[in-house]
Amino acid sequence: MEAGALKQYLKREGATLVGVGDVSEALTPEINHLNRGIAVAVNRSLNKDSVEFLVRLQRLTVKWLKTAGFRALAIPPDSDRIKDTYVSKLYKLFSHKTAATCSGLGWIGKNGLLINREYGSKLTWATVLTDAPFRPDRPVSHSECGSCELCVKHCPSGALKGHLWSIGEPMRELVTYEKCRSLKKNRLHLSGKPNCGLCSTICPYSRNGRPKKPLCGSPDDEDDNAAMLVSSLVNWR
Amino acid sequence: MVDEAKKKEVLEKLKNAVIQYDEDACKEGATEAVELGMDANEAIFDGLVAGMEEVGRLFEAQEYFVPEILMCADALYAGLDILKPHCQQMDLGIKGSVVIGTVEGDVHDIGKNLVKMMFDVAGFNVYDLGRDVPLDKFVEEQLRTDSELVCLSAMMTTSMVGMPKVIENIKKKNPDCLIMIGGAPTSKELADRWGADGYAEDASNALKEAIKMVAFLKKLRDEKLKK
Repeated sequence: MEAGALKQYLKREGATLVGVGDVSEALTPEINHLNRGIAVAVNRSLNKDSVEFLVRLQRLTVKWLKTAGFRALAIPPDSDRIKDTYVSKLYKLFSHKTAATCSGLGWIGKNGLLINREYGSKLTWATVLTDAPFRPDRPVSHSECGSCELCVKHCPSGALKGHLWSIGEPMRELVTYEKCRSLKKNRLHLSGKPNCGLCSTICPYSRNGRPKKPLCGSPDDEDDNAAMLVSSLVNWR
Repeated sequence: MVDEAKKKEVLEKLKNAVIQYDEDACKEGATEAVELGMDANEAIFDGLVAGMEEVGRLFEAQEYFVPEILMCADALYAGLDILKPHCQQMDLGIKGSVVIGTVEGDVHDIGKNLVKMMFDVAGFNVYDLGRDVPLDKFVEEQLRTDSELVCLSAMMTTSMVGMPKVIENIKKKNPDCLIMIGGAPTSKELADRWGADGYAEDASNALKEAIKMVAFLKKLRDEKLKK
């Protein structure tokens, strides 16, 4: 079964990227009947409220699948913040990055973030797991970070280890999350905003990403990014 | 007077929304029920809960799996949140409090959660101990809350064997307390052998059984008081 119709539909509705991956290797028994992962991404810099926008796309995906007679389990973009529902217990069983790499939409960079060749790590992701027998896209199996170490060198907390990711070593730790978390705590205390975002903005792939058609964001977003980059450096020192 | 045909349509909508794990449709149905001035209890039991019963059947038939069950439960709760404030005092004639949990060694709590949900709907006071609950905790909690009923759930034979010990300890401390067991490996025979007062094979039977048991207990108490 081809996923083309669904992909086109979601792109018409505003999705930046849509991919279908064979995720059977990554599933635990509770969810192993849902062996296709649909990865949906929107470009954060084009859209002020990318989470809300993605949730809408995700609903459309679920509706599309159910109408076609398939099961669907939506894992929302902000799944780590949702705790008050029954189904949220399942969210931690599956990561958006797995769906994205299996769908061939990117690799996991030295910064621990999903990197897409065109958009870098400026994307926000959502996943819909389904039992629809879509023909999967070809997965990305290796990092394309090469010898670039910009994020490793500039991470203010020194959390990035500089390892190259590969699909064969999913458990290898790329980031010392303890260090990143303590920095976030500090920043939250100082400025009210936890994320420094440096590892994302400094990535050459993120900076080469060309905005195409803005959805509802303002053209100033690129400048915002640059300003954020500078201010986060200043704040830290 | 609520139009019968319209009422039936709303009940059907609520039921299907739960089965189809469609939260939005469930909220819509619940709002319609409220706007129509329908009896909220009826909407809950003949709409939402009827749907959940069907979901239970689909689960047993291996038509539904864990994620679907959880999403159905979320849909049911979405409807319940809207309907609950409009609930008349439940005319089941009985209210009680209940301690519920999955016994030590067992982390499967979906069945337990469904039963809990049924008690919630019926207006019981529920003390949920969660899953993998140390055996003594049941005894402690029963004494603390003075609940009429303790419900023990187990999904595995290996954890089920803790049940007779809990039953014995509770009965020792408080012979009047009622105990009901449930879960895949349990049965009526085991309940009898271990001295449990009730056994339920699924969530809606658990509620019916519990109401019967608590009603009986209250009657006994009333008779004692008269004497």
